[in-house]
Formats: sequence, structure tokens, C-alpha cells
Amino acid sequence: MVEMTGAEALMKSLKAEGVKHIFGIPGGAALPIYDALYDYPELNHILVRHEQGAAHAADGYARASGKAGVCMTTSGPGATNLATGILNAYMDSSPVVAMSGQVPLKFIGSDAFQEADMLSVMLPITKHNFIVRSVTEIPSTVRLAFKIATSGRQGPVHIDLPKDVQASKADVKIPADVKYTKSIYLEPEKKKVVEAVKMLTSAQRPVIYAGGGVISSNASPQLVALAEMLGAPVVTSLMGKGAIPENHPLSLGMIGMHGRMVANLAVTESDVLLGVGVRFDDRATGEVAHFAPNAKIIHIDIDPVEIGKNVRVDVPMAADAKHGLAAIIGGLKKHAKKGRPSEWLERLEKLRKEYSPRMDYDEVPIKPQRAMKEIMGVLSENAIVVTEVGQNQMWAAHFFITRKPRHFISSGGLGTMGFGFPASMGAKVACPKCDVVDIAGDGSFLMNSQELATVVENKINVVACIFDNRFLGMVKQWQDMFYKKRRSGVCLGTTPDFPKLAEAYGAWGDCASRPSEIAPKLKEALRCGKPAVLDIVIDPDEHVLPMVPAGGRLDQMLT
Amino acid sequence: MRQRIFSVLCENSPGVMMRISRDFTRRQINLDSITVGIEPTGMARIILMFKADDHMTEHLYKVLSRLTQVIEVEVLEPETSIVREVALLKTKKLSDKKMWEVIQTVEKAGGRVLESKNNALVAELSGTHEDIERLVQTLGPDVLQEVARSGQVIISREMG
Repeated sequence: MVEMTGAEALMKSLKAEGVKHIFGIPGGAALPIYDALYDYPELNHILVRHEQGAAHAADGYARASGKAGVCMTTSGPGATNLATGILNAYMDSSPVVAMSGQVPLKFIGSDAFQEADMLSVMLPITKHNFIVRSVTEIPSTVRLAFKIATSGRQGPVHIDLPKDVQASKADVKIPADVKYTKSIYLEPEKKKVVEAVKMLTSAQRPVIYAGGGVISSNASPQLVALAEMLGAPVVTSLMGKGAIPENHPLSLGMIGMHGRMVANLAVTESDVLLGVGVRFDDRATGEVAHFAPNAKIIHIDIDPVEIGKNVRVDVPMAADAKHGLAAIIGGLKKHAKKGRPSEWLERLEKLRKEYSPRMDYDEVPIKPQRAMKEIMGVLSENAIVVTEVGQNQMWAAHFFITRKPRHFISSGGLGTMGFGFPASMGAKVACPKCDVVDIAGDGSFLMNSQELATVVENKINVVACIFDNRFLGMVKQWQDMFYKKRRSGVCLGTTPDFPKLAEAYGAWGDCASRPSEIAPKLKEALRCGKPAVLDIVIDPDEHVLPMVPAGGRLDQMLT
Repeated sequence: MRQRIFSVLCENSPGVMMRISRDFTRRQINLDSITVGIEPTGMARIILMFKADDHMTEHLYKVLSRLTQVIEVEVLEPETSIVREVALLKTKKLSDKKMWEVIQTVEKAGGRVLESKNNALVAELSGTHEDIERLVQTLGPDVLQEVARSGQVIISREMG
């Protein structure tokens, strides 16, 4: 036991968790924390320019590294500014530990300056949240917060830290471990494994549908092994992109509203669908009644809440993706007959060729498909692609061939515009040796472009490729398609000049207005030794196609 | 949609009730009754009564089980459980004759008078929700000034 302040206990606790980077902004109610931080240079504090950026950066860090991302703010507005980013992490099951200062205990409830009831605000948008009421609670609370965030179905945890608790002293000890009794479904039931193996081996048209759970449990090797054993094609959700290398012969790409036609048809025609680490989100399934209508469904998920929530399930398997897949592989090894549905793969190969998306447009203004092709040509398989939200995101999801897990990072569940740029900053901090590119739209980019200051000051050399069509493109697309082209509130006009905006912050900036300019300029952006913005002027009338209209059937895509 | 009962064993710490109740609010399920008691272990036991279909009930079961502060959710069925509610009934100022009648009615229903002064009384009745409903109806608004009810406390009939 050593006497120390709450803030010092917090620093020691964060160190004990192996935290290296904290994205944050100080303020009145966090002063004791920041004062303690002064003595801990090993905890690298990255001063962001808006707290939403801190949350997204921590989220991007977590997704790229597989470790918890950490963000810190003051009370009141600092803390409420975290909310969107925290909910974003919650919807995509990303392990983030967020901390905020709070007014002193005796002022809580008095509408004190910069007081917000964060216990209530964070409660529905975190996996769990805490308020600490004494110094001695801090070490165990921090331990527990990291444990909760990173175990089972991962998710964000928030800790509210009243200022007097930060400043007061007590004898505390950083515990080596803390008791966390919540049961986690790791291993599937043996009976269910037998059923699943039987179903998969007798399938004529099996499909594996992999999601973010495969990536967060690092189960890609098992996924690929199972697919190869069965000879079964793999489709993914948006969050599952990269779970299997998308240039693997058995990978069919993403399903859903803007998925690959071949992937959607494969699911629709399948007779056994193995969903793993997915939650059968409405954007992925389309109309549920016609989702995999002829298939028996096996569902592996670490969170039993997801099983049977959106689609009927024939074999429920509450298990971690890695353990669940390994158990099925184990079962298959004992089985003489492995699936070799060659006719099925031949049919899918034919469909793949028939619906292979076209990208070789030469037009000016640039077609986004061509821009994606050029970017893909420049980036190695080690580059991390982060996206904003909207058309840019769906073009990236549809066309970009992701070859590694944790190398495609996108705001899936919440669809948060403004996510991409700060998240790419977090990803770059986690993986400094990887090229990190934010595929952005002009609308989304402007929602957190203030982080240009952060990346320049901290030499976090990310590249934003802005698919610049001067519209809130996806909203415009829906208005064009479903609201008689009555474009309402979607035109972004002519400002800003993005290269000049970048230069104003001290970043590299340039513009590509012809297809042939993209590759050389992107290479220059990646090599320039500072953060960069490449403004790619694209055709404002281009839609993301094919598309399943909201509530439509996966096999009936508009083209 | 039929009557459902969850008996939720959870940590006795701030926010737990809010977490549980918001899982119902969010799915637009109305809680008919909530009662909280502290177990000898220091854990809280929250009894929830609500109406929902099978699918929603299963979903809510899993959602509550997932909460960090929840240790166990037990599903109780009305037929295999003992259900009790306590009501405290305060009367208005009554005539002597009416006082006498009210005391008779309360005692006949299985209740008892706890206190009386100035021609008014407070009575207690413990029983099923229906027993209490019946007495409240019988006495009616002309007699009753105020009724305080406990909500339903439930325990499974399984023993040993």
C-alpha cells in the first residue's frame, strides 16, 4: 500500500494495463488527472481537437491493434462530446475505455458548472459504465473496465472521475487481477457441434457468412481452414471485411444492400448458411423473410442475445468465433466425407464472372469505381483502409479488395459520418509502419477535419482520399432513386478548397481531377513525410450500384 | 402476450435498476410491477412482472443476463410460484357506523386494522393481486383516502 492521489492511482492503473497512448482533451474537472499525467511521459497523450475525435481515434486504435483504445476528457461538454464516438464503438463491439472528469462529489446533482449526468448519458451506449466515489476504488475499477471492454463481446466502458476523488489521497494498491465473474460463452455445446458438422457435410450449397466477431477473436486462420476443408464460399458483412483475404478463390465479398451480387445470390441460393460472428443486421439481410430462404442456418456468436434475434436459427451455437470454428473443424476431421460441392462452386464462379464489377472507366469527372481501382493499385496488402460513411464507404466496401483482418475499418452499426479521419489517426498510432488511408467523402471529412491539426502536430502521417462530389452523396442517391430526384438539403456548394485547407494546417494537399493523376499523386502523398489530403474530384451523379432497396430482397438488386 | 415474471439476482449497486428498466423501455414493454429486496448475501433480487410474447421474453431474458451487474435471471411461472402483494389502506374520516362496516369488511377479506384515530383508520391486507383489487373495489373511493401497494413479491414453489 502506498499513499497517492486518485489521479496518480489512475496513471499507475493505466500503466499496469499496458496503455501507451491516450487520446484526449483536458479541462477544469480533469486538471488533477492531467497534472499527474505530467509525470508519466510513457503515457503518450495525443491532444485531439474535439472529443468526438478522441473517441473515434481510440476506436480506430482498438480495431487496428486488437487492444483497448483509451480516451480521456473533462466533464460536461467534454464528456458529452464523446457520446457519438462511444456509441459508434458499442454498435461495432470495439473495446474502448473512456474516462471523463466529473464535478466534485458534493456538487453532483446541483447543476454545477460543466456538470453532466454522465452515468445516465453513458449507461445505454456502453457495455458498462462506472462512477468512482473514492480513491481506493480507482485501481480495481480501471482493471475491471479493461477486462469488461476486452472480454466476451467487446465494447466500450466509461469511467466517470469526480475531481475531488482525483485529488484526494489514500493508501492504494494496484491489484494484479480483479474478479470478473460474468460468464463468457467460449466453447460451443458438443451436441450443437455434431449437428453443425452433420448439416455442413450433407450440404450441397453451403455458404459461410463471416462478420466482425471473426476479426475480433482473431479467427481468420480457422475461417479460411474451414472454408477450404468444406470447399465452401465465404461472404462477409461490412464488419467482416478482411476476415478472409478477398482475393482468396473462396471469397465472394460483402453481402447486403451494397454487397457483391454474387455474394447476395450465393446466400439466397444456399442450402446451409453458417453465420459466424455476425448479427444478421438489416443492411446485410434485406427482407428477412427472403433471406437465405432455402437454407438451414447455423449461427455462432459469442453473444447469445444475437442468436435468433433477427433471423430464425436451426443450430444456435453460443461461442467465441475462434473456438466455434475450431470445434467444427475438429468435428469435420473425424468425418470421412468432407463437403466437395464442385457444381456449386462452378455455378458461383460463373456468377462471379457475370457480375464482376466494372472499374475501368476513363471518364472525366472521375468515376469513383476508377478512383478505387487506382487507389487499390497503389496500396500494398499491409495498408489499412479506413472509411468515412456514405457513398465513399460503400464504394470502398464493394470494390476494395481487403487482404488482411483489421485492415479495413469502417463505422458499420452506427454509420457515423466523421468517423474515418480520427479513426485513421488511431489506426496509424496503433500501426505506425502501415500506410493508413482514409477513404472519405467531402461531407464526412468536414465533420472532423479539425483533426488535421492533431495529425500534423503529432506527425501521424495518414492520407485522406476525399471522394469529392460536393454532395451528401448517399442521401442524394436515395433522393434521386426514391424521392423523384428532389434533392433537398444535400448540396455542399463549392467550399472549401481541400488542398488549401490541408496546407493551412501544414499538411500536404493536392487535387486529382483526371484518372491518370490519382496513382502518382497518392504515391507522393504517402511518401511526402507528413499527413496528406488528396482531393479526388468525382462524378457527382454517380450512384453506388448495385443496390438492394431498404427492405428489399438480396437477389433483387437494382443495377 | 401473457403475464411473465423474471426474478433477477444482481449486484446491489447504483444504476442497476436503471439498466434493467431501460432494457424494457427501449423495447416498449411496460413493467406491471417491480419489487426489490436485498438477499442475506447482500445481493439484490428484483422481481419484474410484464406482458410479452415468447420471442420478446426470450430476448429480454438474454439481454438482462448480459448485463455486467446481473448474476442470474430466473424465469418464474405464475402457476408454480407464490405471489403476494401488500396494501396499506387509509380511510377518509368516517361515521361511527361506517367505521364499523369498514372494519368488518377488512377483517372478512383477511386484513387487519393497524391504527385508527379521529374516525379514520389504516388497514393492512396481504394477498394476491386480485385479493387486494377486490378489497379496494369493495371499499371504493368514498371510503378510501389513500392506498399504498407493495407491488408483487414472488417466490418459486420449488423447495429443498
